Order: sequence, then C-alpha cells, then structure tokens
Amino acid sequence: MELLQDLLTTFNFIVQGLWVTVSVTAVALTVGLAIGLVMAVARVYGHPALQLAASAYSVVVRAAPVIVIIFILFFVISRYVNLPPFWAGALALGFASGAYQTEIFRGALQAVQPGQMIAARAIGMSRLQAIQSIVLPQALRLALPAWGNEATLVLKDSTLVFAVGVPEVLRRAQQVSARTFEPFLAFGVALLLYLALTLITTQALRWLERRYRLQI
Amino acid sequence: MTSPILRIEDVHKSYGALQVLKGVSLTVQPREVVVLVGPSGSGKSTLLRCINLLNPPTKGRIWLEDQEITAPGVNQDRVRQRIGMVFQEFNLFTHLTALGNVMIGLVKVRKMRKNEARDLAMFELERVGLADRAHYYPAQLSGGQKQRVAIARALGMDPHIMLFDEPTSALDPELTGEVLAVMQKLASEGMTMIVVSHEIGFARQVADRIVFMEGGVVVEEGTPQQMFEQPVHERTRAFLRNITR
Ligand SMILES: Nc1ncnc2c1ncn2[C@@H]1O[C@H](COP(=O)(O)OP(=O)(O)OP(=O)(O)O)[C@@H](O)[C@H]1O
Ligand SMILES: [Mg+2]
Repeated sequence: MELLQDLLTTFNFIVQGLWVTVSVTAVALTVGLAIGLVMAVARVYGHPALQLAASAYSVVVRAAPVIVIIFILFFVISRYVNLPPFWAGALALGFASGAYQTEIFRGALQAVQPGQMIAARAIGMSRLQAIQSIVLPQALRLALPAWGNEATLVLKDSTLVFAVGVPEVLRRAQQVSARTFEPFLAFGVALLLYLALTLITTQALRWLERRYRLQI
Repeated sequence: MTSPILRIEDVHKSYGALQVLKGVSLTVQPREVVVLVGPSGSGKSTLLRCINLLNPPTKGRIWLEDQEITAPGVNQDRVRQRIGMVFQEFNLFTHLTALGNVMIGLVKVRKMRKNEARDLAMFELERVGLADRAHYYPAQLSGGQKQRVAIARALGMDPHIMLFDEPTSALDPELTGEVLAVMQKLASEGMTMIVVSHEIGFARQVADRIVFMEGGVVVEEGTPQQMFEQPVHERTRAFLRNITR
C-alpha cells in the first residue's frame, strides 16, 4: 500500500515534466526541420558557395557533442540575448538536429529521379517551382522513415537540457530520487514515460508513412 | 508559304570537350510532322533538349515563331511552356495521380483555378483515352497508359509544338500501338511535332518529312518516300535499310 502511495506521488511529480519534454522535443524537431530543409536544398540545388556553407554547418555541428551546443547557447549566447533555459536548450537541440536532418533530406532529395526535375522544367516550371511542387513532396515521403528515427533520437536527447536546469522528465525524476532515496522508482517511472512517448511517436510516424507511401 | 514555327540555325552543343552537335540547321513549318532518325549517340536527344532549352546550345540560334529563344534575357520557362516534351521514360510525377500530373502545370504554371484546371485536365485525359484512369497513380498504370498521361500532361500546357524523344522505346511491343495512335491523332488535328523514333510504320504514314542525323549533323532530309526509296547518301540508305529490316 505504501509502495503504491510512493509510486503515485513519484509519478505525479515526474509527469509534470512530460509537457516540458514534449515541448522541448517539438521545438527542437521543428527548428531542425526548418534548418534541415533549407540546408538540404542549398546542398543539392544551391550555388556552390551556398553548398559549401551548408556542408560546413552540417560537418561542424555533427562533430560537436549536443551538450556542448547547449552550453554554448546557455552560457555564452544568453549573455547577450535574454534566453531562458528552456529556449537555450530547445534551440540548441534544434540546431544540432538540423545538421542530421540536413543529411536526411539531402539523401532524400538526391534519391528523387532526375527525370522528375527535367519533366517539371519541361512543362515550364521554374527551378524553384519544380523543387517546391515536385521534388520536395517526393523527397519528404522518402525521408519519413529516417526522419522518424531522428524524432526518437531528439526525444531522448531532450534529457540533455536537464544540464541547464529545465524541469523536464529526467530532472524531475532526479529531484524525486534525491528526496525519497528511491532512485529505482523515480528513474523507472521516467523510463516508462520515455517508452510511452517513443511508442506514440513511432506509431504516429508509421501512420504518416502508410498514408503518404510513394508508389514507385 | 507560311512563316516557320521553328527555325534552328547552325546549332552546336558540346559537353566539355565532347562535341555532340556540330552545326544543325532545321526549319519546321506549322502542322508539320518531322521524324528524326539516326544511330545511337548521333545527338537526337541533345537536339530536342536544345530546342526546349533544357540544355541550351553552346552556339547557334533558334527561333520559335517570331521569337529568338536563344537570345539573352529570354524567359526560358515561358518558352518551355510553349514546347511540349514527351520522354522515353515517361517521367510522370510519382506522387501525383494521372489527373494530378496533368493538373499541376495548369495550377502552378498557367495559374488556373483548381476547378478550371481539373476540368481541362480531365479533357486532356479524355483526349488520350484515359479519363477512366484519372485517379490512378503512375505505378498503377501500364507503360502505354503512362506515356499517354505524359502526352496529356504536355498538351495541358497548350503547346505550339511537341517534341517526342523515343516515346515508344521503353514499351512492350504490344503497347506501342496505343501511344502511336494518340500521336497520329494529334498529327491529324494539326499539332506540329518533332518525333525521334525508329517506328517505321509511323514514319511512313504520319511523317511529312524524315530527317536523318549522324555524328551531330543532319546528313539528309526528305519526304518518307524520298528517304526510303531513293536516298541520296549511302549512309542514309544503309541506316534506313537497317531499321526497316
Ligand atoms: N549531359 C551530358 N553530358 C555529357 N555527355 C552527354 C550528355 N548528354 C548526352 N551526352 C553525349 O552526347 C552524345 C549524343 O547523345 P544523345 O543522347 O543526344 O544521342 P541520341 O542520338 O539521342 O542517341 P540514342 O539513340 O542512344 O538516344 C552521346 O555521346 C552522349 O554520351
Ligand atoms: Mg536519345
């Protein structure tokens, strides 16, 4: 009975971090998506100088441990602009994810048959129109499985914002554990929450994949 | 004589050091059907891609109707809209249905409203006999059907001239007929066409003129009768004998 009581209290405390975890992940994925799409298009279709800039971004950011990027935003950038821990963490994660998403979308753009662009130009579309209406919609479908994988990785990386004091699931678990001396219970609950989030994410993406499967 | 719809003057095209077109000149009259033949690598596809500026010539000039389309500052997208192109490998947009394939150019390029575009796209699909396949994706269509959708897609842009690059070469023999029939119908409706094809029956029946290319130049041109029965050049004779056999 006491165990159940403990479990309930622990759960109730930790679950309040769920929304923070979800928000951090959603912000990071969205920022990463925007960066990734722009960078990938620049890599594949951009002027050579743009291509170089985009690949430099991707190489440098992928070489940097995510936690370092979070620290840079939190300790360095936030000296100049007012950046609350939540935003420092979420934006840093998004910036990092952007590099991986760049690679995902670059691969997908390159996997679209060259004939698609040629046919689009042949009916009078500009390059930009062809990218927007023909190549990107196909690339997005091709990218979905890899993007889903990236989504689950970002979800797990969202625990890193713990280090700058954002009260997400892991940080709350750690607080409970320090108070109750029941780390097993606390981290067990955290684990289950991440498991549930991951399952929901992968199911949602699988549904999207089925819905938008490219028939080739 | 009316003024030509297309005039190609001394067109050259190189890829790096490789000279593919070495001075091609050709004039096409409105409503004319020109069948372009020649051995592999002679530059037939390259010439078509020069005409619609997908690969602009490195030298020489091209006029479409009254406009010199190789002149600097020409809006190439506008030019391509007036030139329909049909590819050997169809190149249908894989994420769109047959109807979507025809509609997208109408909406994005011709800026038509969705309803209008849908009606016109359906009309074009009817023209190629595929109204009942409007909601199929390319993967669900046969090769011949795909190519007819591709023709409908090009027709939707209301082109003044149509280029066909080996439209039946990727098809099983029993499917070429339906595509050639559509092309023949277009020709009879007065569409100006340049067709790269080694379909001899089509060339004999539909072509007003056959142009034989080899090594990046036009070797000889003439009516099907002249070309098949009394070609001037030995190379023309040898090539045509080879493909008619
Ligand atoms: N984008 C390109 N870059 C480099 N070389 C090219 C390119 N496109 C074509 N070529 C070369 O130009 C030559 C002519 O090619 P083209 O495709 O025009 O010939 P073709 O007459 O259409 O032949 P086929 O009957 O095989 O289609 C070939 O040697 C080919 O390798
Ligand atoms: Mg060719």
